[in-house]
Amino acid sequence: MFGKMTRTQKIIVYGLLIILAIIIIFPIYYMVIISLKLPKDIYRTPSLLPVNATLANYEDLFFKEDFFKNIKNSFIVASLSTIISVSLSCMAAYSLVRLRYRLRTWIGRLILFTYLTPTALLFIPLSVIVARLQLGNTAHGLIFVYLTFAAPLSTWLLMGYFRGIPIDLEEQAMVDGATRLQAFYRITIPLAVPGLIAVSVFTFTAAWNELLLALIFITSPDLQTVPVSISYLITGDVFRFGLIMAGSVSAALPVIILYYLAQRFVVQGLTAGAVKG
Amino acid sequence: MTQRASQDIHTQIKGESRLTLRQMESLMGYVLVAPLLVCILVLVVYPFFFAIAISFTDRSIGAGGAFVGLANFEYLFNQAAFLETVRNTIVLVSVVQISKLFLGLGIAVLLNLPIRGRQFWRGLILIPWAMPAFVAFITWKLMFVPQGGALNYMLIESGLVTTHVDFLGTRELAMPSVIVALVWRGFPFWVITFLAGLQSVPEELYEAAALDGANAWQRFLNVSLPGIRHIVLIVILVSTIGTTNNFEGIFLLTGGGPSNSTMTFPVFAYYSLQNLNIGEAAAVGVAMLPIFAMLAFVVAILLQRDES
Repeated sequence: MFGKMTRTQKIIVYGLLIILAIIIIFPIYYMVIISLKLPKDIYRTPSLLPVNATLANYEDLFFKEDFFKNIKNSFIVASLSTIISVSLSCMAAYSLVRLRYRLRTWIGRLILFTYLTPTALLFIPLSVIVARLQLGNTAHGLIFVYLTFAAPLSTWLLMGYFRGIPIDLEEQAMVDGATRLQAFYRITIPLAVPGLIAVSVFTFTAAWNELLLALIFITSPDLQTVPVSISYLITGDVFRFGLIMAGSVSAALPVIILYYLAQRFVVQGLTAGAVKG
Repeated sequence: MTQRASQDIHTQIKGESRLTLRQMESLMGYVLVAPLLVCILVLVVYPFFFAIAISFTDRSIGAGGAFVGLANFEYLFNQAAFLETVRNTIVLVSVVQISKLFLGLGIAVLLNLPIRGRQFWRGLILIPWAMPAFVAFITWKLMFVPQGGALNYMLIESGLVTTHVDFLGTRELAMPSVIVALVWRGFPFWVITFLAGLQSVPEELYEAAALDGANAWQRFLNVSLPGIRHIVLIVILVSTIGTTNNFEGIFLLTGGGPSNSTMTFPVFAYYSLQNLNIGEAAAVGVAMLPIFAMLAFVVAILLQRDES
């Protein structure tokens, strides 16, 4: 857009980028450093450098607070809601993009509206419904309510993917004698694998990170998910800095590893509206 | 007509199926979409209307509740705390969104320059967005803490202040602090989508504008902006819905305090539910419906136009 830059322009541009990098990196650096410090070091000899680094906070977190249990709970809830919603939406998205029938446009619009509907509008009626179904304080109940955001999210994203897959190959297969259904699972699904991976990553992380519904629907400590257990660490006036940050690092790591592994697919899937944030 | 006729002939030749191809296609369409549709009707559409119904009752946990008309809304709008919530939500959302818009556009333009390592910078910028939101807000919370928090440590060490600043504990500072954290977490997504938009603007348009003697600023205004106008609009609208309903940011940073100075809709509704006042909590949600409906409606129109 600007062609070649002069020397002064270069200095300004790279200077701005470095400031930006510091603003982005600093909180993450701080989180990691604090997770490696003992309380006495944080208060008595405050420093932003890793002096007297120790893994004691992580030991406390995993062995005294039994953080494994929370990770297991989060993992079960997030993976099951992802599997359910991606399977349902894979069929639905194909149907809405490829097949022609009378109510198609209306169903498509309904899904867009449900995708945009915020959880903050739904958690109150859901609390009544979940109580009536006696699903309160159970993992099933949480998976059930997580579908309220997971299903519209994965359907909306997958519709975008299916639109991008050329229809010619399916038509070719049908000319060669395959039925619609065969064309769908032999041609379209294999082609959509990158999309399915990206959408699964988005759905899984959305569920992994969810706080509001988990806070409302899970009351017993044994069933608490990661965000809930960490949010309980910050109530009260005295913060256990090291422990909280060790929990935060441990909660962020799986998501970061997941994004790193699925990088290729996720970047492709990063279209406008992929995330509400 | 002719198409249908030919399909009928086709069916007759095949002889095995009593349905036309078109009927087959539409049957398969409904069958494939049905499971998701049921799920959405039960989990989103029904609760949505149920919330509206509840908001007109005095329902509480355990009691069914009777119809009370607009009493919940009357009660809400006569409550100072609720009015403050409305005002806070408007302030928070507008400041956060305007900041993200300027940062998003500015940084996207910066990254669209011929710089070295664009991939690296793009990856770096995505970090705040890729980490779990609750982790980002908890980290900011601890950075804001007076005793032992990073910001106070730096301010005092550098001699800028002499006493600890209670960022989240004072009425004047709480809102700006929450805004900073929300912007930090939110701007990367805007940068990346705007950058993608900028990169899809054909290079020839810039060259043509340059030949016509347009300077960099004029090229930005007349070539870049019109080229990404659509994507900018969609991001603003979708993100506004998200920011208005941001629960964990405010809940984890301040819990709506001190003395309601950062209270917003979702946190207010959460506390109403904790107080077991379901009718009132539902009314809070329903009170923000008009804004949501308006935004969602415009997004729907824009995206529909995209498809055709």
